[in-house]
Amino acid sequence: MKPLSPPLPKDWQLTPPWTAKHLLMGIALLALLAFTGSRLEMPRMIKEIGEAIGYSVGLTEKSPVATGLARIGHSIFPIQIAEVTEVSRIENFDRENLPLFARIEIQETRTAHLNTETLQMETGVEKKEVLVEPVGYLKIVLVKMAETLEIALWATALSILLSIPLAYYAASNYSPNKLTYFLSRSSISLLRSVPELITALFLVLAFGFGPIAGVLALALHAAGFLGKFYAEDIENADRKPQQSLEAIGAGKLKTLWYGVLPQVMPQYVAYNLYILDRNVRMATVIGLVGAGGIGQELKGRFDMFHFGHVGTILVVIFITVLLLDQFSARTRKKLI
Amino acid sequence: MLKFHSVSKRFDDGTQALSEVHLDIPQGQFCVLLGSSGAGKSTLLYMVNGLVTPTTGQVEIGGKMLNRANIKSIRRTVGMVHQQFNLTPRLSVSMNVLSGALPFVSYLRAAVMWYPRALRERACRLLAEVGLSPEHLPRRVSELSGGQMQRVGIARAFMLEPQVLLADEPVASLDPKVSRDIMVLLRDEAKRRGTTVVCSLHQPELAVEFADRIIALKGGKLVFDGTPEQLVAAGLDSIYQHDEPKPAPSHPVPHVAPQMLEALA
Repeated sequence: MKPLSPPLPKDWQLTPPWTAKHLLMGIALLALLAFTGSRLEMPRMIKEIGEAIGYSVGLTEKSPVATGLARIGHSIFPIQIAEVTEVSRIENFDRENLPLFARIEIQETRTAHLNTETLQMETGVEKKEVLVEPVGYLKIVLVKMAETLEIALWATALSILLSIPLAYYAASNYSPNKLTYFLSRSSISLLRSVPELITALFLVLAFGFGPIAGVLALALHAAGFLGKFYAEDIENADRKPQQSLEAIGAGKLKTLWYGVLPQVMPQYVAYNLYILDRNVRMATVIGLVGAGGIGQELKGRFDMFHFGHVGTILVVIFITVLLLDQFSARTRKKLI
Repeated sequence: MLKFHSVSKRFDDGTQALSEVHLDIPQGQFCVLLGSSGAGKSTLLYMVNGLVTPTTGQVEIGGKMLNRANIKSIRRTVGMVHQQFNLTPRLSVSMNVLSGALPFVSYLRAAVMWYPRALRERACRLLAEVGLSPEHLPRRVSELSGGQMQRVGIARAFMLEPQVLLADEPVASLDPKVSRDIMVLLRDEAKRRGTTVVCSLHQPELAVEFADRIIALKGGKLVFDGTPEQLVAAGLDSIYQHDEPKPAPSHPVPHVAPQMLEALA
C-alpha cells in the first residue's frame, strides 16, 4: 500500500506551543513554593487538616483542630437573638407599658455567701426580675448593620466625588501638564496603598470613636481605586468621538462629558457597585478599631466571650452581603 | 472663502504628506478631493480646522489666516463629517446632534444636557431634513444602520451653521446605493445654505456626478484641478498610481492530485 500523499517538506513541521523555558519556569515556581512552604509550616497545615477530615469521618482518634472548631461552633450556636435585661437596671421602667412582644420573667440564681455570724458558707437563691425581648438583640444588630450600610454608602459617595477630579488630572490625554499628571497619579497610588484599617486607626485618634473616622477611611482608600480605574478608562476610550468634538472647538471638559463619559459609563457603574460592595464588607471590619458600625459591636462581644451574640452578628453580615450581591448584579444588568 | 497658501506638511517620522499645495476655493463650491490612500487628502482637510498644522504655508478662511490665537473661533465655523461617523455610540441620536453645537452652550447647560430652545428646534429640523423620523430621537446611535449614522453625522455637522464643511471620505464605509443617497443629501444641504464643501472621496464616479470642481492629489502634490468634464476628458490614469504587479506566489505544498488518482486506481 502506497502512502496517500508524499511526506511534507521540512518547513511544514509544527512545533509544540511550549519550550524548555516554560518547563524550567514551572520547576522554578515549584521550588519557590516548596522553600517558602517549609518556612510557613505548610506541611503541618496539610497534616492537621488531614487529621481533622479523618476525625470527622471517624478514621483518626484525635484532632486538636477538629475539636477546637467544634468548641467554637458549639459556643456560637444557638445564636443569641433575645435580649435579657435586669428590670432593676432599666431607668423609669413602666410595668404597664412593655415593649412589643416583651415579657417579664423571674430568674433564679444560686449565690454563695459567707454568714458573718456563723462563719459558714451558705447558699441562697436570689430572685431577679428580668425583661425578656424575644428579638431584642437581633434588633440591636440590625440597627448596627443599618449604620454600617450608611457608612458604606457615604464612603462610596465621597470616594466618587473625590476621584472625579483625581481621574481627570490622572488621565494622560486630559491632564493639563506633566506636573498635574504626576501629582494626581502619585496621590492616587498613595491613597490606594494605605489599608483602610490603618487609616481608620489614625482617624479614630483624630475624630474620636464613631462613624466619621470610618466613612473617611473607607472613602480615601476607595478614591485611590476609583481614580485609577476612571483615569485608565478615560485614556482607553475610543478616540473618534472625541476627535470630532475637538475639531469643532468644544473644549476639553465638554468633550469629556459628551465623547468619553457615555462610552465608559457601564464600566463606571460596575466600579461603583464593586466599591459599594467592598465598602460594606470593610465597614464591618473597621469597627474593630472603633470606627463605628457593626464591627464595634462584634469586637465588644468577642472580647466578652459572648459567642452567641457574635454568631448573630456574623449571620446578619452574611445575609447582608448576599442581598447586596443580588442587588448589584441586578442594577448592573439594568444599567448596561 | 477658503485659501491654501502653498501649504506643505512633513510629519515627525519624515513622510512628506503635502508639498506646496496652492488652492483657492470660492464660497458655496462643492469641491471633491481625489487620490489614492496616502496622497494627502486627509492631511489637507485637517489643516482647515487645525487638527494638522502646516510645516510651511498658511490656510486662510473667510479672510482670516489660521493661527494659534484664532483657532478656537475658526473651529466654530468649520463643520466636519467623518468616514467612521465618529458619533458617541451610547449617546442618543438627539444628544449626538446637539453636541454639534457644544461650543455655543454654557458649561451648565452642557452638563445637564438641556439646550436652549433654538438649538433644540434646529436639531429636530436638521434630523427631519436628513430623513430621520421622531422615533429615532431617543435611540442610541449604535442601534442605527451605517447610512442612518452618517445622516446623524451630517445633521451634527450642520448644527454649527458652518461656513465650511469638511467631509473626510464620508461614504467610504457605506454600500453604493446608500453612498449615493448620502452624497445627494450632503450636496443639497450644502447648496441650500451656500456652505463651502471640501469632500475627499475614493469613488471617481461619485466625484464626477456631484462635484463642482475636482482636485486630485498624488504623493502630496496637486496633479489635477478642474471641472468633472475636464477630468473625464483627461482620464483617471493621471491621478491614481499603479503598483507594479507582483509575481504570483509559488506554492510550497506539492500538488497531491496525481498521487491520489494513482492510489485510487
